Amino acid sequence: MSKKKFTTIYIMIVTIPFLLLIFPLFEIANRATPIIMGLPFSFFYIILVILITFSGVLILYKFDPEHQFEEGDE
Amino acid sequence: MEHWQIALIIMISYLVIALVVGVWAGKGQDSSSLDEFAVAGGKLGLIVMWFLMGGAVFSAFSFLGAPGWAYEKGAPAYYIIIYTAFAILPWYIIGPKISRIGKKFNLYTLSSFFRVRYRSKTLGIIVGLLALLASIQYLATQLTGMAHIFNIMTEGRIPFWLGALLAYGIVVIYVATGGLRAAAWSDVFQGLLMIIISWVVGIAIVNQLHDSMGVMFTNIAAENPGFLQIGKEGSAMGTIPFTTTILVSVIGFLMWPHLFTKSYASSPKVIKKTVLVYPIFALFLVPLLLVGFAAKGIVDANLIESADQVLPFLITTVMNLPGWVYGLVGAGALAAAMSSADAITHNATLETTDGVIRTIFKDLSDKTVLKIMRIGVFGIGGLAYIITVFGGQGLIVLLLGAYGAIVQFAPGVYSALYWRGATAKGVISGLVVGAMLNFYFQLVADTTPLGIHAGIIGLIANVVIMIVVSLLTKSDTSEEEDTYIRS
Repeated sequence: MSKKKFTTIYIMIVTIPFLLLIFPLFEIANRATPIIMGLPFSFFYIILVILITFSGVLILYKFDPEHQFEEGDE
Repeated sequence: MEHWQIALIIMISYLVIALVVGVWAGKGQDSSSLDEFAVAGGKLGLIVMWFLMGGAVFSAFSFLGAPGWAYEKGAPAYYIIIYTAFAILPWYIIGPKISRIGKKFNLYTLSSFFRVRYRSKTLGIIVGLLALLASIQYLATQLTGMAHIFNIMTEGRIPFWLGALLAYGIVVIYVATGGLRAAAWSDVFQGLLMIIISWVVGIAIVNQLHDSMGVMFTNIAAENPGFLQIGKEGSAMGTIPFTTTILVSVIGFLMWPHLFTKSYASSPKVIKKTVLVYPIFALFLVPLLLVGFAAKGIVDANLIESADQVLPFLITTVMNLPGWVYGLVGAGALAAAMSSADAITHNATLETTDGVIRTIFKDLSDKTVLKIMRIGVFGIGGLAYIITVFGGQGLIVLLLGAYGAIVQFAPGVYSALYWRGATAKGVISGLVVGAMLNFYFQLVADTTPLGIHAGIIGLIANVVIMIVVSLLTKSDTSEEEDTYIRS
């Protein structure tokens, strides 16, 4: 994967979930009920989106083209 | 023994350990090296870096303010978790770039980052001064937090001036002796402490006041569903203020000058890995919000001076917990405030010495600069302390204005990294107008159009003006702008 392509994918992977957490899109989760795992729906949804985002970033990290060139400090 | 005595002993023991860890971390390093003091030789490792970043986010605000927001406003408090998790993400892309630029030009500060790219001393000095004022404001908030904690947990025995002096005095000592490395290692200790304490105490409070988290939220939802929503009847915040507050916090977070110092202090790989593990810190904030929700309906708002005091009030007055819990929560809150204060004090010193003084007096040797920096730590520490204890209203307004101006660095920073067309004149005019609009809407006007956050209004004007003025003033290209973009 080229560096440019990686950057584009990275930006998409972090922007889409971010948009889900601000308005107007956040409206889909802007409710108090049902209570899931002890949390109001909106609170639960936010934590879920954050966890998914970072799993995505964690997976993407494996494909970072700069890896092979950077051993420790430059 | 009385509760407050046990609490005092625990908090003092914590302070002694914090001092020892901080001073110990600086030992064995080259104490005559400016590079070591400023950016720890550019070689901070992952764990230390992670806590250094976490320490900056876990501040007096998260320990006192976050429960206060949840208690007073409800769902809008989610913004704290959202922005903490997302604000770090752009760093994965820009952090390594900034790190390489810093190493190429031997930078220590945000001020020099601007000065070199835009070949403008004026811009460097403006940025350095704004950074100093904003840092002082930030420090004053932390100091107030430290002093309140001491005061409340000892049931008023330790006066405001003494609490702030004890806790912050220790920060100043280890930063002056050990520089960034000392700040970093003490953050590891302080970070672990505050995380453990917030979870244990947070969950204990919820379970003791309500049968379980589910029962607590079911009750709130039944009584006032708007409290757990945004922009509905009974909600404390509308959708536009909520969204723009998140936006301004996300953009502003990475513009704090200490983030640049940290970028120079580590390798691109460490920066990327820091981003990957960072969201865990955002989730650490969850129990502190739960405490705020737990206090809803239990603490009478008339009994506390401000919502920020809801956590200490719960512990000392409502729940009547044993003294060692006072002490632990006190130590956790002190750790949160101190781990933010150390990095900011360190950075404010760099911005003034390296960014401003060195720009005005060019022929200073590294040795002299290092000496000025060490003394500067005491100078800035003293200033922050005096302002906290004796600060007048006018001064506080000025500092708040500078604090709000931090986010206005964003157009200049991103242009330096990605847009050749930006010029010094463009960036300066955008910054000045953006900061002034922000100041007006934040502190002078009562409301903003549509409830948009003042910082966003400033940013929009800032970007437009920067682009227009840059296009009008652009002449030939420079070597620096090329290096910045390619790094």
